[in-house]
Amino acid sequence: MSEKNKKVHKTKSFQRRQDKYGYLFMLPWIVGFVVFTMIPFVMTVYLSFTEVKQDIRGFNIKFTGIYNYRQAFFVNTDFTPALVSFLGMIIPYTVVIVIMAFILAMLLNTIVKGKSVFRTIYFLPVVVLSGPVMYQLMNLNPEVEGQVNELYYTFLIRMIYSYSPIAAGAMVSLFDNLSIILWYTGIPIVLFINGLQKINPSLYEAARIDSATNWQILWKITMPIIRPTALIVTVFTIVQLGAMDTINPVLVMIKERTANTSGGFGYAATISWIYSLIVLAIIGAAFLLFRERKIKETHKYW
Amino acid sequence: MAKRIGKAVTYFLLICIGYIYLEPIFQMVSKSLMSASDVIDPSIEWLSKSPTLNNFKVAAKVLKMPKSLINSICFSAGLAILQTTVAAMTGYALSRFKFRLKNFWFVMILLAFIIPTALLMIPRLIIFITVQQSTGVQLIGTPVPQVLMAILGQGVNGTILILIFWNFFNLIPYSLDEAAMIDGAGPFQIFFHIAVKLSFATVLIVFLFAFVWNWNETYQTSTFLGGTMELLPMKLSVFDSQFETASSSGIGAGGTFKINEAYKMAATLISIVPLLLLYACVQKQFIQGIENTGITGE
Repeated sequence: MSEKNKKVHKTKSFQRRQDKYGYLFMLPWIVGFVVFTMIPFVMTVYLSFTEVKQDIRGFNIKFTGIYNYRQAFFVNTDFTPALVSFLGMIIPYTVVIVIMAFILAMLLNTIVKGKSVFRTIYFLPVVVLSGPVMYQLMNLNPEVEGQVNELYYTFLIRMIYSYSPIAAGAMVSLFDNLSIILWYTGIPIVLFINGLQKINPSLYEAARIDSATNWQILWKITMPIIRPTALIVTVFTIVQLGAMDTINPVLVMIKERTANTSGGFGYAATISWIYSLIVLAIIGAAFLLFRERKIKETHKYW
Repeated sequence: MAKRIGKAVTYFLLICIGYIYLEPIFQMVSKSLMSASDVIDPSIEWLSKSPTLNNFKVAAKVLKMPKSLINSICFSAGLAILQTTVAAMTGYALSRFKFRLKNFWFVMILLAFIIPTALLMIPRLIIFITVQQSTGVQLIGTPVPQVLMAILGQGVNGTILILIFWNFFNLIPYSLDEAAMIDGAGPFQIFFHIAVKLSFATVLIVFLFAFVWNWNETYQTSTFLGGTMELLPMKLSVFDSQFETASSSGIGAGGTFKINEAYKMAATLISIVPLLLLYACVQKQFIQGIENTGITGE
């Protein structure tokens, strides 16, 4: 009996020790998270329903209900188009980046010579990519407008344009900025290579013995195994693209409103909240897209 | 034979795509060497007829070059050191202790990465302005807000830094800790003398990433710091307008300066050369750093 008690006591003190030191090491991060992330998060939601005015004594916060939301969607004419062009940027860009990164990782995984040289080149942009640099590069070619027109005259783009001008615009911007978009694949490529190298080669061998073609191997073995990595890459890409104000018109709007400290914080909170909900929804959609699909019962017990 | 052709195609594709990657940098170099007449000459695509280094001189002056470079290095390195320290501690806690609600905090760390910074900027600004008004200490326009956020683990991409450390600490066998514990070492001693000393390479990797990310971060920097401290990327972001004022007050000897791509590209090149040099020295560490995050699963 006493021994049992002793044991219980021991595990309790063990747990207390673990708690104590675990939280001691975590303390700075937790404090920072609460003060600079959790409280601001809740505050933004609240502020989005208010009007914030700054005077000498501090901030004057007045509750206005859904006034700001109505302003954003129905009164101000610049928010909805910015949101649409943001969607027209982030969705195709993310798709292209993830697919290109996967293809490049596959290619890099097959070669032996010069692998590190290529990897060094592909990873280089991660180090130099910043808003101002991107801005200068994207505004580099003054004749770009001519190129846009040229592209607009190609048959395919015109065909798409007749269905949906937004889709055509997104495609044109995609081709215009291909280099810069590819610059985002640096980290995804390394992640994909890492994921590919963890696939057991005997799986491929077994498939080959069963006379699977390369195409079948790609779809039935590589893709399912790489799916979790693809999810991480997709989320990472969405976050990185969203944080770049050069290509994100909504971010520019929020920035302008934030810079104006005398007022407009409430409205800025509203648009940043709507914007964040949309970003989180896109990330959620990525989760759904890459989730583990349940194997049907019939397949399970064959 | 088919295999050889496949290999040739692979290399061909890789080289072509590699060229697309580097094209902006090639263009930067070629444009920055052009004189004003070359820029408007449509027959010149890449090679300047009369290469000149004058663009760099002018651009460096507008960028307030030696001062802004030193400022940028100090600023980024300072924040990076703080971020690295906190990331190491947090990663260590997650790797070594089984404290309650650990999984909850882990999810929160991942969540902190996903929440858009734009969402948090306004309340953060309000918090700092309120503190500034109630204490009378100037915060906005100084590095203090960013230093505070770095110390408290909310710096740029802090989550990734934590994951790199977490994954590395997981690789250190627990028996080393036990041996030290038997010798009477406390958790902090184990952290410093075993975990940190063994992970010198990881510390370097995390520091480099934090350095580069802080260097390239302009959204928070422009909001909290503004133009009060001359930083290279910030100077680049206002290069166009600064050039106008600088040229009207006369930077060069006489002659009027009109802004053109050559100056812009020279400025851009100047602002990324420090990073390129850094990358040239330690590119292996950078790539390993991402490989070691372990977020692709074991």
